[in-house]
Amino acid sequence: MIELQDVWKEYGNGTAALSGVSVRIKQGEFVYVVGPSGAGKSTFIKLMYREERPTKGHIFVGGFNIERLRERQIPLMRRTIGVVFQDYKLLQKLTVWENVAFALEVIEASRRTIHRRVEEVLDLVGLSEKAGMNPRELSGGEQQRVGVARALVNKPSVIIADEPTGNLDPDNSWGILKLFERVNDRGTTIVMATHNRELVNATHKRVIAIEGGQIVRDQERGDYGYED
Amino acid sequence: MRIRTVGRHTREGFKNLFRNGWMTFAAVSAVAVTLFILGLSIALSLNIQNVSLNIENQLQVNADVSDSVTAKELPALGKELAHLPGVRSITFVSKADALQKMKKILQGNASMFNGLGNPLPNEYVLQAANPEMTSGLAKLVQHVKGIQNVQYGQSFIGKLLAVTAAVRDGAIVLIGLLLVMGIFLISNTIKITIFARRREIEIMKLVGATDGFIRGPFFVEGTLMGLFGAAIPAFVLYELYRWMFLNVTLFPPFSLLPTAYVASRVLWVLILCGVFIGAWGSIVSMRRFLRV
Ligand SMILES: Nc1ncnc2c1ncn2[C@@H]1O[C@H](COP(=O)(O)OP(=O)(O)O)[C@@H](O)[C@H]1O
Ligand SMILES: [Mg+2]
Repeated sequence: MIELQDVWKEYGNGTAALSGVSVRIKQGEFVYVVGPSGAGKSTFIKLMYREERPTKGHIFVGGFNIERLRERQIPLMRRTIGVVFQDYKLLQKLTVWENVAFALEVIEASRRTIHRRVEEVLDLVGLSEKAGMNPRELSGGEQQRVGVARALVNKPSVIIADEPTGNLDPDNSWGILKLFERVNDRGTTIVMATHNRELVNATHKRVIAIEGGQIVRDQERGDYGYED
Repeated sequence: MRIRTVGRHTREGFKNLFRNGWMTFAAVSAVAVTLFILGLSIALSLNIQNVSLNIENQLQVNADVSDSVTAKELPALGKELAHLPGVRSITFVSKADALQKMKKILQGNASMFNGLGNPLPNEYVLQAANPEMTSGLAKLVQHVKGIQNVQYGQSFIGKLLAVTAAVRDGAIVLIGLLLVMGIFLISNTIKITIFARRREIEIMKLVGATDGFIRGPFFVEGTLMGLFGAAIPAFVLYELYRWMFLNVTLFPPFSLLPTAYVASRVLWVLILCGVFIGAWGSIVSMRRFLRV
């Protein structure tokens, strides 16, 4: 499903963010990516949806060879990946419903598909009642659930999340995690970079720890492992 | 592309236009001024060409009789001219007739002749048998004793063509400068839109919208600016020309071409140029500021 082969990433200013990372994630896995600030977690995530390009190495996601991708194919690749961010990245002037529908509108889905899918995912994240509201009227946890709904509406085979609970209190963090587990149960791969020790330690999933741009630990049913 | 997508791009394009009110106004104005000058010079050129043609077709040679020729000598001079080769007909216009005619043309301003006596010469007007003979005939007339000054179409056409060329050169430079300014202002307006919409653009890219889809509204915005920039001068020029055609009295060989004819030659050029400027401006902007 996802494979990185000896991936190096050096930013324009000379910062070496990743140094020889190799990892393989199978379809349907749930993987935490942990590590201290500046370890390279976000870089790892960004390489997977080609927000950044590797300096060296190979990256495969789904059927796509990410760094060999033609410009025209990038949109097609992104439609198979759902991305969730710490700051939700919602459009404030649109309603909840419109924010989710936006992801389908801009890939020219039919009106019927949009209606059907948006209803489905809003129901899944438990926000059907608040479809007409503005993001500003929602709690942080609810806003993030809109973000997840938008990531899911396209039926991606993988959800990539960069600190999705970073701005949330414990209750809301758990809500998002439960949601991810539900999605994962349906066969969607989840890769989640996180600082949230309680979640990681309580759920016993695969943990990949990155430090100084290298994978220092890769554990099935692992734990957070840092005192921080 | 789906019809619905075209509708969406158009809607978004219009929204962007109004969102950037003043920038849009500046860009549209620049394009409008450019195309106004372009339209004006095309209309002017068409008319100058037409007047040239009128003159050419008149086959007319005007021969001024020098004041030293007495009234008694005139008939002999007329005969001599009439017998030159290539003359189809000849008419005599006396000083008095010429003054009368001039006063009629000048109407209210005729009083400027008061006290001057009659500065106009006696004149013979010769018609050549065909257009090619006009200049040859003029040369022959020139050498007839008692004729002081000969005018025929060609000399005048030469002057007209020089004017046309000057108008054209001036217009090309001006239009070139304004064109660059128009494209610059349009691309700058779109840059602002792109900046204002960077969040949306970011999400569009993230969820897999194609480059073409993301660019659509900006392209529409630029093209609309160009189109409005063409519509305004098209309308103003049309009305202006029609007014002139109806209200300005000219005498042959001067005449204005009919409004519909000039409109059919000018309007589509303006519209095409407007669309071109707008599309180009938006492409410049997207190349530089829309990394997709
Ligand atoms: N766009 C960038 N340009 C330059 N350096 C960057 C950029 N993004 C991240 N870095 C650097 O790369 C390293 C890894 O960053 P990041 O992947 O964001 O780590 P994490 O998400 O684990 O905190 C850090 O030293 C960071 O400063
Ligand atoms: Mg990070």
